[in-house]
Amino acid sequence: MTSTEVYLENTVLGPKAGGLYRHQNFGTGLISGIVFGFIGWLIGQELLQGSNWGSDMTVTVTCVGWVIGFLLGMGAFNAVGRWILGRDEDHEDQLYGAGVGQGWKRYFKFCTDHKVVGIQYLVLVMTLFGAGGAMAMMIRTQLLSPHMNLLSPQSYNALVSIHGMVMIIATIIMVSGPFANFIMPIMIGAKDMAFPRLNALSFWVVVAAVPPILGSFFVGGVDSGWTTYAPLSVQSFPGQDMFAVTICTFVISVTVAGINTLVTVITMRAKGMTMGRLPIFVWGSIIAGGLGLYAMPAFLMAQSALITDRVVGTSMYAPAQGGAGWLYENCFWIMGHPEVYVILLPAAGALVEIASTFARKPVFSYKAMVGAMMAIAGLGIMVWAHHMFTTGWAPTLANPFMLTTELISIPTGVLFLCLVGTIWRGNIWARLPMYFLYLFLWNFIIGGVTGIYLSDVPADQYFHGNMFVTAHFHFTLLGGAMVGAAGAVCYWFPKVSGRMLNERVGKWAFWLIAIGIQVTYYGQFLEGFQGMPRRVVNYNPLFQPANIMSSVGAYTLMTGWLILLYAIVHSWRNGVKAGPNPWHAKSLEWQTETPVPLENFLVDPVVTRDPYGYGEEATDTSQLTPEPVGAGSVSLGNEEGVL
Amino acid sequence: MSSENIEIDEFHEGKREEIAKQVDPFFKGGPIWKRPFFGVFIIWSFMTLIGVLIGLFVPVHVLNGSSSSQQDSVKLTIVVFTVIAAPVSAVVYGIAAYSLFKWNKRGSGKSDTPPEDGVALRGHGPATVIWLSISVVLVVILLFWGMMVLSSEQTQQGDAIRMQVVGQQWVWTFQYGSTKITSTQLVLPVDRQVVFEVSSKDVTHGFWPVQLGVQVDANPGFSTTIAASPNKLGKFDVRCSQLCGLEHAYMQTTGRVVTEKQFEHWLAQKGASPKAIKHFTTDAK
Repeated sequence: MTSTEVYLENTVLGPKAGGLYRHQNFGTGLISGIVFGFIGWLIGQELLQGSNWGSDMTVTVTCVGWVIGFLLGMGAFNAVGRWILGRDEDHEDQLYGAGVGQGWKRYFKFCTDHKVVGIQYLVLVMTLFGAGGAMAMMIRTQLLSPHMNLLSPQSYNALVSIHGMVMIIATIIMVSGPFANFIMPIMIGAKDMAFPRLNALSFWVVVAAVPPILGSFFVGGVDSGWTTYAPLSVQSFPGQDMFAVTICTFVISVTVAGINTLVTVITMRAKGMTMGRLPIFVWGSIIAGGLGLYAMPAFLMAQSALITDRVVGTSMYAPAQGGAGWLYENCFWIMGHPEVYVILLPAAGALVEIASTFARKPVFSYKAMVGAMMAIAGLGIMVWAHHMFTTGWAPTLANPFMLTTELISIPTGVLFLCLVGTIWRGNIWARLPMYFLYLFLWNFIIGGVTGIYLSDVPADQYFHGNMFVTAHFHFTLLGGAMVGAAGAVCYWFPKVSGRMLNERVGKWAFWLIAIGIQVTYYGQFLEGFQGMPRRVVNYNPLFQPANIMSSVGAYTLMTGWLILLYAIVHSWRNGVKAGPNPWHAKSLEWQTETPVPLENFLVDPVVTRDPYGYGEEATDTSQLTPEPVGAGSVSLGNEEGVL
Repeated sequence: MSSENIEIDEFHEGKREEIAKQVDPFFKGGPIWKRPFFGVFIIWSFMTLIGVLIGLFVPVHVLNGSSSSQQDSVKLTIVVFTVIAAPVSAVVYGIAAYSLFKWNKRGSGKSDTPPEDGVALRGHGPATVIWLSISVVLVVILLFWGMMVLSSEQTQQGDAIRMQVVGQQWVWTFQYGSTKITSTQLVLPVDRQVVFEVSSKDVTHGFWPVQLGVQVDANPGFSTTIAASPNKLGKFDVRCSQLCGLEHAYMQTTGRVVTEKQFEHWLAQKGASPKAIKHFTTDAK
C-alpha cells in the first residue's frame, strides 16, 4: 500500500482529543510570545541589571524572549520535544501536521505541507511590501518640498532605515518563499520538501522576526540606515537592538530554507528528472539558496557583534578600543552583495519559465543559462568591496574589485541573451506574465547600465552615497527582481489559487507600475546627477523639481501595486476556475491536478525529457505526461478560495 | 509572415530532420528589408541613436557644475560609458521589440488558447560566442578606462598641499596643515592639487566636496586620503554622504576655489604668520 493510498483512506482526519499539538496555532503563538517577552523583560530588567525599561539589555532580552516564546507557542519544536522524550510522531500526527482536513485554519498553524507554507509566504510577502510601501510613501511625501515638516529628522531616519530593511527581507523571500516552496517541489516531481518541519520553521521564524523591527519605532527607531554602519549604530537608540534581533532571527530562516531547498532538489527529484532536465527556475532557486548559505551568516556575525558591542560593552567596532567600523562594513557587504543575487536569481529563473511558456519555444541555450547563473553567484561573492570604494578601506583593492564587478556584466549579458533568444522567433502569447517579462528587460538594462557607472571607481566617487545609487538599486531590485516576482505571481496564480487572474484589471496595474517605476527613478537619477545625498530629511531647493517628479511617480507606482493586489485578492475569491494547465505548459507542476492534492501526484511521475519541448515532437508522450491524477482526491479544504 | 508559418507547419508534420538538413528558410530569400534582421537593425539603430543622444547631452546638462579635473573626468566617463552601453543595450531592445511586433498575433493577449509552438531553437553557438566576445571586449575597455582615470586623478603630485578635514556631528572643520588655521569653510587655491586627510571625531561621515567630484569617508580612529585638483574659480558645496545621525541632512557647508594670491591673503586674514603661509604653500614643492 503506497502512502498515497493510505491518505486516500484517511480522508477525514479531525483533530484528536488531547495532545498539545492539536491546540496550537497563531493565537497561542502570539500569547506565548508575549508571555515569554514579558519574562525576558523581567530577566533583562531585574537579573541582568538593565537600568531601565528601555535599556539595551532589557530590549534585547525581551525580543529574544518573544521570538523563542512565539515559536514554542506555535508548536515549532513539538516534534523535536517528542524525540527528546523518546517518542516519534505517528502517522496521524504527521497527517495532522500537514493540515489534512483543517480547511482555512491550517494557514494559521505550524503546517508542514509545502503548498500551505508557500501561500503563507505569499501573504507575508504582500504584508511586508504593504508596510514597506507605506513607509516609502511617507518618505516621498516628506521630500515633496525642501523644507517639509511632516516628519522629524528622527522619525525620517527611522522610516528610511526600516523601509530599507523591511523591503530587503520581503524581496529576499518574495520568490524563494512562495514559489520555491509551492511550485519547486512539484516541478521536480517531489512529494514535499525534504524537511517539511524545517520548511514550516523557516516561515514562522520570519513571522517571529517581523514584530521587533516594526516595534523598534516605539523605542526610538533606527537612525543609521538599513546598512546600520558602526559606530553610529553602536550609539543609536534601543530600536537598533530590535533591528539586530530581527536580522539574527531572519538569517536563521534563510539558512534553514536554503538548506531545505538544496537538499530537496538534490535528493527528492522524480525518476528521470536529471539535473540537466531541471527547469531553470529550480536552478535559480538552488543557486540562490546556496548563495544565501554563504552570504547570510556574515550578516549574522555583523549584527551579533553589534548586539554585544551595544549590550555588554565589547569593542568590535569601537576604534578607541581597537575595533573598526570597517569590520562591520566588510561583514555587512559580504552579505550585502550576494544577497542581491539571492533576490534576483529565483526571479530570473521564473522569468525564463515565463519566456519559454509564452513564446512557445524551448529555452535558448539552457546550459549557458545555468552556467551564467552559477557565474553570477560565484562572482557575486567576490565583489562586496565595490560598496566600499569611498570608505578609504584598502585603496589598493580598488582595481581588483572594479575588475570583478565589471566581470559580472558578462554572465548577466548571457542571462539577457537567453531571455531574448527564447522570445526570438517564438509565437508570442501576450498574457500578463509576458508583459512583466518585457518590463523586466526594459528596466534591468537601465539598472545594469547605471551599475557600470557605479562600478567605475572615479565615477563612484561622485555617485556614492547620493540618490543616483538609490535609483540604481531600486531599478534592479524593484524594476528587475520585483517585476519578475510579479510576473511569477501572475504565471503561477492559476496553480496556486485554482482560479484565473483577472488580467483586465492586472493590465491596468501593469501600466501604472511600468510608468511609475520610470518616473520615480528617473527623478531620482536626476537628483543624483545634481548631487543630492541619500537619506536627507530636507534638501537644497535646487533638487525640488526632480523630487516632485519622483514623488508623483511613487504615488503612481503605489496605485499600480494596490490595483495588482486588488486583482489578486478579487480573483482568488471570484475568479474563473482554472483547469490544471491553463497555459498549456510542459513542466510538471502543470501536469498535476488543481487544486494540487496532498503529496502532489497520485501517480509518481516519470520524466523523460526537459520541460521545454515546444515545437518538438514528444519522443514518448505517454511518459512525458504522467497519468492524470485522480479527481475527487484528498479533500484539502481549499476548493473554495480561502483567502 | 507567411514563410515562418509554413516552416512551423512543416515542423508539425514531422519533417524535422529534413528541415535540419536544409538551410533554414528563415534566413533565405526575399528583399533585404523584408528579412527579420533588417527589422531588428532598424529598431537597434533607433535605440542606439536615442541612447547616444541621451549620453551626449543629458548627463553634462544635469550633472552639478564642475570645479575640478576629477569632476571633469566623471562627466567624461558618464558620456563615454553611456555611448558604449547604448548599442549593446539596444541589441536586447531590438530583438525583444521586433519579436513583439512581428510574432505577436493581434488579440493573443485575450485568447485562452496559446498560439502554435514556435521554432524549436535550443541555442545558437555562434550567436552565444559573438555575444560573449563583445561583452569581454567591453569589460576590458571599461576596466582600463577606470584604471587609467583613477591613476591619473589620484596620483599625488609633489607640490600638492596637504590639509586635514575633520567630521563631527554635524559640522565639517578644515585645518590648513602647519598654519594651524581652522575654518568651517573650505577655501582652496586653483590649479594646485590638494590632498585631504580625512578623519572623524565620532561616527562615520562621508566627506563629499560635490563639484570637486571626489569623496571619501571620515572614519573615527583612522585617516583616509583623497586628492582633488580644483581647476575653476568659484563656489562649491561640501556635503555629508554617509548617514551620520539626526542632523545628517544639514551637515553641509560651502567652499570656494580662489587664486593662489587670494588664498594666501585669506590665510593671512585668518591669522597665519607669513612664514607659516610660505611654509604651507611652497614647502611642499
